[in-house]
Amino acid sequence: MLRYVLQMLWLLACVTADPLPERGAAPEFEVVSPVLKRLTQTQYGNSLRDLLGSALVVPNDLEPDDASEGLLVLGGTVNSLSARGVEQYETAAFDVAAQVRADSDMRAALMPCAIDDAATDAAAEAENETCVSDTLEAFGHRAWRRPLEPAELLRLTTIASAARSTLGSWDDGVQYGVAAILQSPNFLYRIEVGEDDPDAAAGSSVQRRYTSVEMATRLSYFLWNSTPDAELLAAGESGELVTDAGIDAQVERMLADPRGRDGVRNFFDEMLTLYKLEDLSKDPTAYVHTSSTVGSSAREETLSLAEWLTFDEDGDYRDFFTTTTTFVDPKLATIYAVPAPSLDGFAQTELPADGGRRGFLGQVSFLALQAHPTSTSPTRRGKFIREVLFCTPLSPPPANVDTSIPEPSDSYPTMRARLEEHMSNPSCAGCHAMTDPIGLGFENFDGLGGWRATENGNTIDASGDLDGAPFNNAWGLAAAVHDNANLGPCFSRTLYQYATGHAASEGERDLINWHAEGFADNGYKVQWLLRDLVASPGFRRVGVVQ
Amino acid sequence: MLKGLFRGSAVAVALPWLEIFAGRTAKACDDGFPLRFGLFYWGNGNVPQYWVPGTEGYDWELSEILSPLADVKPWVSVVSGLSVKLPNVEPHTSGVAGLLTGRGLERVNDEYTFAAPTIDQLIAQEIGGETIFPSLQTGGTDCSGQSWSGPSSRNYAETDPYALYERLFGATFRAPGEEGLVDPSLGLRQSILDAVMEDIGALQARVGVADKARLEQHLDGIRELETRLARLQEDPPSLAACVQPVALAVDFSDQDGRPQISARSRAMCDMIAMSFACDQTRVVGHYLTDPVADILFPDATAGHHSLTHDEADPQTEVRMITTQCVAELAYLLTALSNVNEGDATLLDHCVIMGASEISQGRTHSLDDMPLLICGGGCGAFKMNYHYRSYTQESASEAMLSVVRGMGIPAASYGADEGLATDGLSDIEA
Repeated sequence: MLRYVLQMLWLLACVTADPLPERGAAPEFEVVSPVLKRLTQTQYGNSLRDLLGSALVVPNDLEPDDASEGLLVLGGTVNSLSARGVEQYETAAFDVAAQVRADSDMRAALMPCAIDDAATDAAAEAENETCVSDTLEAFGHRAWRRPLEPAELLRLTTIASAARSTLGSWDDGVQYGVAAILQSPNFLYRIEVGEDDPDAAAGSSVQRRYTSVEMATRLSYFLWNSTPDAELLAAGESGELVTDAGIDAQVERMLADPRGRDGVRNFFDEMLTLYKLEDLSKDPTAYVHTSSTVGSSAREETLSLAEWLTFDEDGDYRDFFTTTTTFVDPKLATIYAVPAPSLDGFAQTELPADGGRRGFLGQVSFLALQAHPTSTSPTRRGKFIREVLFCTPLSPPPANVDTSIPEPSDSYPTMRARLEEHMSNPSCAGCHAMTDPIGLGFENFDGLGGWRATENGNTIDASGDLDGAPFNNAWGLAAAVHDNANLGPCFSRTLYQYATGHAASEGERDLINWHAEGFADNGYKVQWLLRDLVASPGFRRVGVVQ
Repeated sequence: MLKGLFRGSAVAVALPWLEIFAGRTAKACDDGFPLRFGLFYWGNGNVPQYWVPGTEGYDWELSEILSPLADVKPWVSVVSGLSVKLPNVEPHTSGVAGLLTGRGLERVNDEYTFAAPTIDQLIAQEIGGETIFPSLQTGGTDCSGQSWSGPSSRNYAETDPYALYERLFGATFRAPGEEGLVDPSLGLRQSILDAVMEDIGALQARVGVADKARLEQHLDGIRELETRLARLQEDPPSLAACVQPVALAVDFSDQDGRPQISARSRAMCDMIAMSFACDQTRVVGHYLTDPVADILFPDATAGHHSLTHDEADPQTEVRMITTQCVAELAYLLTALSNVNEGDATLLDHCVIMGASEISQGRTHSLDDMPLLICGGGCGAFKMNYHYRSYTQESASEAMLSVVRGMGIPAASYGADEGLATDGLSDIEA
């Protein structure tokens, strides 16, 4: 089935002359200066596996990623590496180099030539040196995503020779050479500084562009969350990736590749902070269906849905919130009280159309993560929708204000009754009016995401109003979110920041709005937006280094 | 000097430890042992009325929350009533930055970050240069810790006790009396780091100002690692108290949905004590939990942060949790006091600061901050003393006293409303 889909996509790519969106001219905008991007942990791992083979066990003891603008990839543009992080990169590089040496397949792929450590004559030794130099040059080229300068290669071969003479074998030399390549900033950072654009219009504020080689890296980390493959790199080096046609051809190939699915999954993972589910902690006495792996399952469910919607359906982003299709394993099926479609692992299923649970906001990933260890949190759930789905930042609570809410009691039997306290305090009401009425719409789901009709014996009132759209419960709230005017533009803005790798600036506002309008005009199709963004001047143009 | 002898060629000469310390800049106590600094941190504050001791001056009376300190009280001074004077723009974060840097927060994109190095790093910059690790950051739970070298430059806490053991006492550890590490790969690792530094230098010429600074941090990290590789080849100091701890054999994973806070923290604290005793580092930040941590403590019915806001007075559970945090500090102090150094104990040669980012969790108040100054501090501070400020003196004054107490002649601490140019003389000996 997958093969058939891939073939169909290829066919489409071949019959369509220009599959990039046909758009009018993009509005004027202010270009942003280049920023250095340190690879996220996921990018580091994906890149190494793509470079060296899927048998590689990627070291995961690395500097943690922190988000900026809600995205880990943007955190990599502002956060500095600590001394501990340097040490971890070193340890990881040697770990990887040793694995490659020990695994005959990975070693053969890295080193296509033969080495004879017992060689005594000068000719054989020269062949060894050539083999090691070729190996490091080829691997360095791939790992650094550009050809090596002669001085750089010399530094690597010098290290290899020293290792060989100190430790005894040319395999030691290659191992240390590989470890050096992987500790270099040329691997750990994406270096995209741009060049003057010879075709720039005179007088335009946009005079610089990313180089074709840099575009290979920009495309691959955006669409694959990984390093360019040989074909993409070659396209970059031949100058094709500063042309529309050259980008077109690669983008179609990349979206049809399984790595395209990985890339979209990663975007949803970052945008929705699903990676935090790996540390989900719930009190098992409060939630009998919790377990140490329920968070990982919940993450996979949401990522599967995002992948399915984007690729298998070529669907509308808004349907992410209203679809009854989902993907569950037996653990999640138990929480949702639906039959498990498969007894081992995940399978697609349809949730009952009974007005209960649907879409991402009916999933454990959202409901459990935006809650407390032993209770729900309407405030957190509402805040997530405002900030992450609608891009509406909220102020933090004011200082020196009593933030307590009444304990559950006969006077305050439900979370709704307890939270109304915030509404009576003017210094709280401003923000809590933005969050709580939405969050209370999910009160039929407990702090793990299980269904409940009552709370402390009282029937739950999950009705409310989202920016003028009334709803009776979470099912209706899903429709209100689907129809909310902020939903599409926010997604478009977040994806723009993720694609370009920088925080959106005021000078990009018109450009970002233009993408949002195109997204709306084209049925909110995620794939359409991916294509629109790689064609965007915001993705391809850059300011001066400063 | 031994300090200058790096690389494999150095022949390290074993000297009596007194002479080793005598030639160095860090403050040594009268008996010759170096003075160490520790920060013991927990998130979400306290409940002041159950924290502040009922008596002032020497030999203060234990309060409910401070009761776990009974056995180590001779080394503990309580400083109450101080305020962080900076604007409380971001609950929890303003408090921790206000206390540990004396400065307001800095904005980078949509996130707040620390404007300047935290106090542990200020101290490490001065006294951290002579040990294998200039400073260590450890976490008793899955936390990031609160150590920063500057904006967007966090020193993440090591939260895995096994990884900490490997780092401190694993294959590269050399006990007193043994010779320095002899390993030909150390020189090769150094040559790789040299090559990486050249790559970074070339890259710095091509990028903007902010990225240059970030790469400079990367270079600092490489220099620190190079120094460590050199130090590993020196003979370890001849310190009687230094013994390689036995390898860990405990499962630290969560039990019934709750982290094993105490077991993890104690394993870390045992290693911290020994890393001081072996003079592997003189500066440690130990973070039991982070600000806003919503961790389920033993016997609690909800997460810590939730309880600080939601639990009604008299906040029995919040008090119980804060008391547990203090008990973990007591464990660290006890572990330090159990190590003999000369005629005194390791704890006599330490300043251990106990702190959190707010006072009352419910209101995020920065008045009446919880602060403990523990350890002998080589006589720099009053011990077993409760100082209560009735004029809301600035916490920065106490921080300046701590920095100076560490032997660093700082003229000031913090900036703006958090600026202090005078220490808090009432807590100084």
